[in-house]
Amino acid sequence: MKKIANQILYNLKKEKSSFISFGVIILITALILNCAAVLLRQVDSAYDEKFEELSTAPLNAIVPEVQSNSELEKAFNEAEEVEKCESHTAIMTEATVKDFNGADFSMNTVFYNIDDKRTLNSFELVSESENDVVNPIYIPLYVSNFGGFALNDEIVYVIDGKSHSFTVAGVIEEMQYGNYGSGLLCAYLPEEEFAELADSYSSKTVVEYSMSVKNGASLDKVTNDVSKAIDNKGVMVLSILDSESVKGARTMVTDLLVLILAAFSLITLAVSVFLSNFKVKNAIESEITNMSVLKALGYTSAQIVASITLPYGIVSLLFAILGVGLSYALLPVLCSVLTVQSGFSFDISFDLPSFVCVACILCGVVTFFTFMAARKIKKTQPIDGLRGNTSSKHQKRNYFPLEETKGNTKFLLVLKQMIASKKQNVMLFLVSFVLTVLIAFSGTLFYNVVVKPENFMSALSDEVADVIIYPKSDSVSELEEKFEDDNRVQYSLKYMSAIVKIEGKTVTAFACEDFSKVRNDVCYMGENPREADEIALGSALEENFKIGDTVKVTVDDITKSFKVTGFVQSINLQGELCELSIEGYNSLFAKKQTPFLYVYLENFENAGKITKEYKSDYPTLVADTVNSYKLQKEAQDMYMGITVVLVVAIFAVTIFIVLFILYIVIKSLLVKRRQELGIYKAMGYTSSQLILQTAGSFMPVSMIAIMLSGVLALFYMPAIYQFIFETLGVMKNNIEISFGFLMLFAVAQILVNIIISIILCMPIRKISAYTLIKE
Amino acid sequence: MSNKKEIIIKATKLKKSFITGDTEQTIFEYLNLNIYKGDFTVIMGSSGAGKSTLMYSLSGMDRPTSGEIVWDGKAITSLNDDKLAIFRRKNCGFVFQQIYLLDKMSLMDNVLTASALSETSKKDSVKYANELFTLVNIPEITRKKFPSQVSGGEAQRAGIVRAVINKPKILFADEPTGALNSNNSTAVLDVFTKLHGAGQSIIMVTHDKNTALRGNRVLYVKDGKIYGECDLGGYTNDSKDREAKLNNFLKEMGW
Ligand SMILES: Nc1ncnc2c1ncn2[C@@H]1O[C@H](COP(=O)(O)OP(=O)(O)OP(=O)(O)O)[C@@H](O)[C@H]1O
Ligand SMILES: [Mg+2]
Repeated sequence: MKKIANQILYNLKKEKSSFISFGVIILITALILNCAAVLLRQVDSAYDEKFEELSTAPLNAIVPEVQSNSELEKAFNEAEEVEKCESHTAIMTEATVKDFNGADFSMNTVFYNIDDKRTLNSFELVSESENDVVNPIYIPLYVSNFGGFALNDEIVYVIDGKSHSFTVAGVIEEMQYGNYGSGLLCAYLPEEEFAELADSYSSKTVVEYSMSVKNGASLDKVTNDVSKAIDNKGVMVLSILDSESVKGARTMVTDLLVLILAAFSLITLAVSVFLSNFKVKNAIESEITNMSVLKALGYTSAQIVASITLPYGIVSLLFAILGVGLSYALLPVLCSVLTVQSGFSFDISFDLPSFVCVACILCGVVTFFTFMAARKIKKTQPIDGLRGNTSSKHQKRNYFPLEETKGNTKFLLVLKQMIASKKQNVMLFLVSFVLTVLIAFSGTLFYNVVVKPENFMSALSDEVADVIIYPKSDSVSELEEKFEDDNRVQYSLKYMSAIVKIEGKTVTAFACEDFSKVRNDVCYMGENPREADEIALGSALEENFKIGDTVKVTVDDITKSFKVTGFVQSINLQGELCELSIEGYNSLFAKKQTPFLYVYLENFENAGKITKEYKSDYPTLVADTVNSYKLQKEAQDMYMGITVVLVVAIFAVTIFIVLFILYIVIKSLLVKRRQELGIYKAMGYTSSQLILQTAGSFMPVSMIAIMLSGVLALFYMPAIYQFIFETLGVMKNNIEISFGFLMLFAVAQILVNIIISIILCMPIRKISAYTLIKE
Repeated sequence: MSNKKEIIIKATKLKKSFITGDTEQTIFEYLNLNIYKGDFTVIMGSSGAGKSTLMYSLSGMDRPTSGEIVWDGKAITSLNDDKLAIFRRKNCGFVFQQIYLLDKMSLMDNVLTASALSETSKKDSVKYANELFTLVNIPEITRKKFPSQVSGGEAQRAGIVRAVINKPKILFADEPTGALNSNNSTAVLDVFTKLHGAGQSIIMVTHDKNTALRGNRVLYVKDGKIYGECDLGGYTNDSKDREAKLNNFLKEMGW
């Protein structure tokens, strides 16, 4: 062991700088991988712990108060797997929070009475105002963090066009709802405020049944049983939410992050494996004589292989430890970002199993691959090695003999060089191809979000008019006349929405007087409803029904049959929606419903003005107005921002990887070709000729790969986007693949490659013909 | 009588020193030297005297520390690296002791790689290369072999072909036979003699008396200067006179 220790040290010292660059890659891999591992292991259990700690009910069902009765509760309590059922009165409504993270934010919200006694669904008071505030409200962490509401701030909820102003008296952490993804948010009001709100919205007063389940019971089965029990009593459920779905929604971004981190660490791991492999092979080729001298001196092959392999093992272990250490500086930052999104707070502690895993994986993989590469030395006889013969050194064929091949000799020299570095070129081809897929993906995203934002927005949003006007009842037609006289208005559409039940499933129903006039046609199969008995169903119902089927739709105690004409999508509602004609919609209600008006403008720049004008000029007709153009624009800007960041990040990663690989390939090539380059220089080749020759030998292959991948992207990119959107519940997307744009990105990538290679070949200037004679 | 000849290289007040650590080692200083057209100039001297250093300075492969080297009235000491490379490709051919053929290329391709830098068309280059290969006695099949597949002598003769393919003003050779056995050496030296006979100017560094006899002018480098010089006259196959003259000269120089 001591004998080879010297060799190991020698190998480490000799290539200090290249071991450091290798170490940095390992460090980055370890850092990313450990972040992923720790998040994967700790977030989930932190979530579960908090869930237990706050004795959160795994199942919560909300029904209108008018339909609730003690029999229902009894039925729940009697359900086989329900341990305990507790009921509370609450107010459930769609509410728009003003200035939520800079925009208006609509959400189904459940208001609770904070003074209710509860044994299930407790909450933790994160902070509480010390002042006595007017209209106090307690908001969940998500609303506070993500919406940007601090203690003592004013928060305005708009319900049915009426504004309710509160002051944030406290921030709470609860595990029942949580974030946007769960589809419901909550807020707690003190007894007095709660009663006041309940009085104003008696129709929105609900009863929530919270149920804990027995140990080992299947949540799916309980949910099913409870749904059935409600159905049997002929009661309409407004919401039935189980803890698994909530958890899925709240930890979605965490899961996604873990996935992205894992993917990235795989890429960097692959790069480091390639790197160590490549270096070892190179070292063997250039050091074969030295190694053979060692062999001739009596070192065994195993000792020599160890002296090559172990430095990589040692370096990867050291840097993996460093990387893991550094990850604990990054993790708190990631956690605070995740808290904003998931709406629950958690702390990260040192995780030994993750550390051991990361260190073992990195060290093991690197050692294994270097060992495989180094094994070649075993097959070399010392005497061959001394003569400088490795099996690959004897080139049998003369590719492109200059004498016989037609063409410019300098160009043929590039071809010869290309063949000489075949392996590197194959690698470069693969890397360029894969990276171009990434670039094409982000380029397409960029095109559809930034250049043609309507393509992307139509997939993500529901119908958006420029202005939405909530008329007071009976003033609809009067307002419509006003629009006709207003030449800034193109046209307006009556729109309505409510929660309905289709064959036992609760969905959001939308009605519009003419679906053919909407901007964002969400129908992806069949047709929109036109007649009073027609309905289009959301994608979530696609497996249960087909076009032409008849379905029963229920609101309160009215049930009507409709014929399915088509299917519609919605990303916000996960496909749980339906479309009706205005007549069809009205037939479900005993009382006449007041529609709101979607106003489409000639010039959207007037949206702000019109929003203000109609509210102030016609106070008797208008309850409230919303500048929905601005909302849309804000959402769009947000997506644009994210896309630009993403595209820049992908470009940076691509450039980094290309840079890295070209760096390794070219640097080792220069070392290997040092003498050759000296000979060329002695003959009178200039540095610039040699730089172009060397850099040029890597360009054709990467250009072909990039172009090929770019052109193929035309065919595979739509499929990729289709897949992504479908998993998001969007069946039909308007994503366009712009050939020109793809080519633009491809050319940019090629230019970057060329520039990088030329810069990396610059050291050729320093190789002098004279030093070669000295060596 | 040599002053009647046309001067190709004029070196004045040449100085070359190396700095190792913090000590400066001067190889030569205040060195003045003329090289004449058509001469086969031989540079001799003990090991480490600075023969190679001098030769590579004269040929623009290396830069002197100070002083001036003028080729045909043009100072090359002021050229930048790329200009020097272009200067070399037009004016100098090199033959090295270690031969230094490009090992991934056949002998022919080695030669054509050099000719690609000249203005000559590829067809003409191939023709001229074949003539030269015939001149140095390398048969056609050998021209297609890789350096690792031919003998040292063959490789060196191919190296000479490569060095003269662009018709350089001066052919520089640093101990071209240093790594060869005597049979191979003779074959290689015969090529030099043939080329000199055809009017090629040559500068050759050597340790070997028999090799030196091929030249017509012998310079002896010692103590950082041209310590002495000897005019041997044209090469003849069997000349006891020239041999005696060289022996005397070398004795005088302290060989
Ligand atoms: N790059 C360098 N750095 C430092 N010293 C050098 C360098 N090149 C040459 N020298 C020194 O310069 C002196 C002359 O070297 P040179 O190679 O010219 O000798 P030479 O006469 O050709 O010897 P030989 O007959 O052994 O080839 C030597 O002492 C050598 O150590
Ligand atoms: Mg020498």
